[in-house]
Amino acid sequence: MYPRSFHYHRAGSLKEAVSMLGQLGEGAKFLAGGQSLIPLLKLRFANPEHLVDLNFISGTSFIKEDSGALHFGAMTRHAEIEHSALARMIPVLHDCAAGIADVQVRNRGTIGGSLAEADPSGDWANALITLDTTVHCLGPNGTRAIHLEDFIKDAYTTALAHDELVTEVEVKIPPQGSGGAYLAFKRSAPVYPSASAAVQLTMAGDVCRDAAIALGCVGLTAIRATEAETALRGKSLNDKTIATAAETARAAADPQSDMRGSAEYKRQLVVALVKRAIQIAVRRARGEQIEGAHLYA
Amino acid sequence: MFAEAPNIVAEEKKNGSGRWVGASLPRKEEDRLLRGRGKFVDDIKLREMTYLRFVRSPYAHARIVSVDTSAAEALPGVVCTITGKEVAAQTQPFIEIAPDHAQKIRDFPMAVEKARYQGEPVAAVVAESPSLADDAAELVQVEYEPLEPVVDSEQALLDKSILHEEAGTNRIWTGIWEFGDVEKAFQEAAYVVNIDRMHFHRFSSTPLETNVVIGQWDPKEDRIHYWCNNSFPAFAIQFLAAHLAVHIDRIRVQTSDIGGSFGIKITSYPQMSVCALASKKAGGRPVKWVETRSEHMISSAHGNERTFRDTRVALDKNGEITAIASRHIDDCGAYPRYEPLGCVIYSQVFCGTYRFKNARIEFTQTVSNKCPVGPNRGYSRMQHLWFLERIVDICAHEIGIAPDEMRLRNYIRTEEFPYTTPNGCVYDSGNYPKMLEVAKGLIGWDDWKKKQADARKQGRMIGIGIGTTLDSGTNNFGQSQIVNPNAPFSGNSQGANCKLDIYGEVVVAVGSCPQGQGHETVSAQVVADVLNIHPDMITVRTGFDTERNVHTGMSGTYASQFVVSGLSAVHGAAQKLKAEMKRLAASVLETKEDDLEFGVGQQGPEIKAKSTGKSINYWGLANIVNVNSAVLTPELQDVTLNCRYIWRANFKVPDKAKKYGNLTLTYSSQLHIAVIEVDRDTFVPKILDYVAVDDCGVVINPRIVEGQVYGAAAHGIGAALMETCAYDAVGNMLTSTFSDYTPITAVNIPNIRYGHISTPSPFTYSGAKGMGEGGAAPIHTISAALQDALFAQGIFINNSFNNADSIFRSLKYREGGQLAEQVRLEKR
Repeated sequence: MYPRSFHYHRAGSLKEAVSMLGQLGEGAKFLAGGQSLIPLLKLRFANPEHLVDLNFISGTSFIKEDSGALHFGAMTRHAEIEHSALARMIPVLHDCAAGIADVQVRNRGTIGGSLAEADPSGDWANALITLDTTVHCLGPNGTRAIHLEDFIKDAYTTALAHDELVTEVEVKIPPQGSGGAYLAFKRSAPVYPSASAAVQLTMAGDVCRDAAIALGCVGLTAIRATEAETALRGKSLNDKTIATAAETARAAADPQSDMRGSAEYKRQLVVALVKRAIQIAVRRARGEQIEGAHLYA
Repeated sequence: MFAEAPNIVAEEKKNGSGRWVGASLPRKEEDRLLRGRGKFVDDIKLREMTYLRFVRSPYAHARIVSVDTSAAEALPGVVCTITGKEVAAQTQPFIEIAPDHAQKIRDFPMAVEKARYQGEPVAAVVAESPSLADDAAELVQVEYEPLEPVVDSEQALLDKSILHEEAGTNRIWTGIWEFGDVEKAFQEAAYVVNIDRMHFHRFSSTPLETNVVIGQWDPKEDRIHYWCNNSFPAFAIQFLAAHLAVHIDRIRVQTSDIGGSFGIKITSYPQMSVCALASKKAGGRPVKWVETRSEHMISSAHGNERTFRDTRVALDKNGEITAIASRHIDDCGAYPRYEPLGCVIYSQVFCGTYRFKNARIEFTQTVSNKCPVGPNRGYSRMQHLWFLERIVDICAHEIGIAPDEMRLRNYIRTEEFPYTTPNGCVYDSGNYPKMLEVAKGLIGWDDWKKKQADARKQGRMIGIGIGTTLDSGTNNFGQSQIVNPNAPFSGNSQGANCKLDIYGEVVVAVGSCPQGQGHETVSAQVVADVLNIHPDMITVRTGFDTERNVHTGMSGTYASQFVVSGLSAVHGAAQKLKAEMKRLAASVLETKEDDLEFGVGQQGPEIKAKSTGKSINYWGLANIVNVNSAVLTPELQDVTLNCRYIWRANFKVPDKAKKYGNLTLTYSSQLHIAVIEVDRDTFVPKILDYVAVDDCGVVINPRIVEGQVYGAAAHGIGAALMETCAYDAVGNMLTSTFSDYTPITAVNIPNIRYGHISTPSPFTYSGAKGMGEGGAAPIHTISAALQDALFAQGIFINNSFNNADSIFRSLKYREGGQLAEQVRLEKR
């Protein structure tokens, strides 16, 4: 199908984009990579009167390291992160970027757009929530920095005001001895995952000093599996402790039954994904270079 | 003297045999298609084109109280609207193939009184642009009164809610196939295996190009011109002419490149009707309809869904099956359309690859509030072959025989070909034990058996499964008389034309509409051998066009038959042309016909007199006939060098009462083996190894055959593990997008290892057998491998669709089939 007609505006700067949206009012929306918005327009599920295109603003796509953190411009494409040597410093980021949908989507979709969309099945929020992530925003009243936990409010709901946008995503580089992994189960490449798990560990030898575990696609937002994290902290990690921790994630998930899987099956998937993600994270914390591949049906 | 210089890769030689047939020639079509230079219907732009959008029912079953199109008509840029009522007022209902009460069904291309499936068109709007048509469609107000939906065939048989009141029942057709002495076989059996219920799921094909129609009904000429991608246009025009009450000669159908059909595009004639009627209302402006993907998923056509009830199998003490009795219930969706032909087409492979003689099948078809079915690749036979393969594996397990050994004991013996089945079909050729041997060798059967035993000790669930299947092709339309004794169809035919054009170009036209099967290439190979020239010296016009006059009422591309019907027609036309060329050349070169040699000389393709060395090239021959005819001698006045040939299969009308007769000309066979491991954490059934062995007799182009095998294997693997047309309890379709339907993609396709044997068909001029559909071998094979992996857990694979979720639920919650409850062995 074709979208309803709308007015198209091309912003020359982020500041201009913000002021345009303010002037155009509630019927206006930002257009970033468009990988969620365009399909919604085509199905006429979203019918904005105005689109303000962010794609022609220079200086919004970058990856740099500064003050112990990686900084991603909001318009940085998934594919740019996938192929970035810098982003590989934090393996979770590479895992996530390389597994999002298919090549076409990764070439267009942006990290800022994905976070601002806050789709419960989106990948980025789930991967980034296991890290120390700050979302930098720009609104009519200037800039603000919001920690990711406070940024994502609910399904499709963020802390952003209507005329506020994401400018940059800042991710603290984890300390020495850290390892992480992001794994999603997808029935085929282009579709949203049935479930995903992100794990970030800080290890001292075999002992887990700190753990962050998040579950994706199984609730309105990414869910922190706090009991599973507790089950790992201070423990020497082996098959048994890992399996026990993974098993506690089953109850943390709150999935719905749909074509991607029954609720019971998604809980089972969560356990399997958490287990594998921990195993990969442990090996990466030891300095092993291993690819964490997504699982497909 | 030919339009294009040969651009073929120089090293592509004839396969040692001195013939082009049998060579792995790259496809003539590839250059055009891979460079994006193909011409598809949506590429066609016509002056004053308008665009049609359907308004569709959100309900599976609802009475239409009112349709208000006034707001849509008031929108600037809207040309007209058309409703189901208007269509019904101007047309006859489509022909029903089913007899008796089902003849009363009133099938129109849009819902009139009632909508009978979610997505059924209720009205259409025609506008100056596609987006305006979308805008206008949103303004059409339809008031519905929801009715009780029927979404299951066994529920449909209860007739609590009836779809077609005129017919009085949801049952469309019932027939009994009974052969041999079934009672006696059960009395004498050493074992009887009882199987409660099995189910073959509903899935479809997802051609890259959806249905597209441009229809123009010019009031000045009173003729209808279609540009479309219907894959059986000769059938479509027969339905449309009766329905629109126009002379069939006044309907012109043209197809161009088609981006896949898999049978699903056979049933686009209802939309073709609406485009013509809308064009008429729009004053004769052309009306284009391009189906969206979601429309394709909810309302193009799905494959037949079938339930197998109360199956009983009799076996002797050696495990040889002696009789099968069962009740089959097929669900054809909301309107029968091409059905109930599936109710007889299954019986082309009545006994599968097996030699049992006694059988009783009661076959019933019902309607339901789901998308109408269409002949989806493997049409109606794959359901039955899956059923037989399940029986073989279950029986083997119950009486303790290995599945490979069980098959060897039951396969039709190689020396028995041509083999007459219990219902009178004649299997032309085959060697099933040899295929099994080749497949076992390729997969490393013994190695995998060892690995499987070791893995089982560690609690891993690995299964090895065999699927044997048939791809019956070139059907005898006389089988339609088994479902309806008054059906005026029998036999099979195809037309082709082969000519020298005015400047001597060799031009072949054939009444097919290929969708990726390489008809241009293989037709050129056949003609090149007849004339002893290079295939690149031959232009092949593919794509159906009623005005080319090379079609019969059975022309199209469907049912695994081009290599037989199409190439036999091409071969016949080329032979006819060659005979005329010989007569003409003998006269001109003043020699005898047997002194002539066909070949390529310095001035292109030519005919040479061996005795004198004199030759005449094709330009010279064509010149005489076309523009220099005063030189023709009286006895050559009938030479036209423009030769039409109609090929007909040598079929008889089957015995309708006994349901006995030969229903198909050729039987390709496929044997696949899969090794699958069910992951103990994710329950994902992962294919560890996969082998596909094919036998389609003499191969015209090995590269094309191999490509077809991979394509069919991918489609089947998708169907077995990923693709299902799911509906909820009230008939909402749950898989209307690719995100939900998840057609198989490259990441899901295992490495498939291909093997081949060849048992030439004695019934075709070339020894080739049709093979495009592939018999859905992966569905049988994957079910077999999963069954092998899960026997130890007491699981009964009773559904053709299995994924990680369903396997998880059957293992953890005992939701799926359970051997102990649903399969019962009686030892006598």
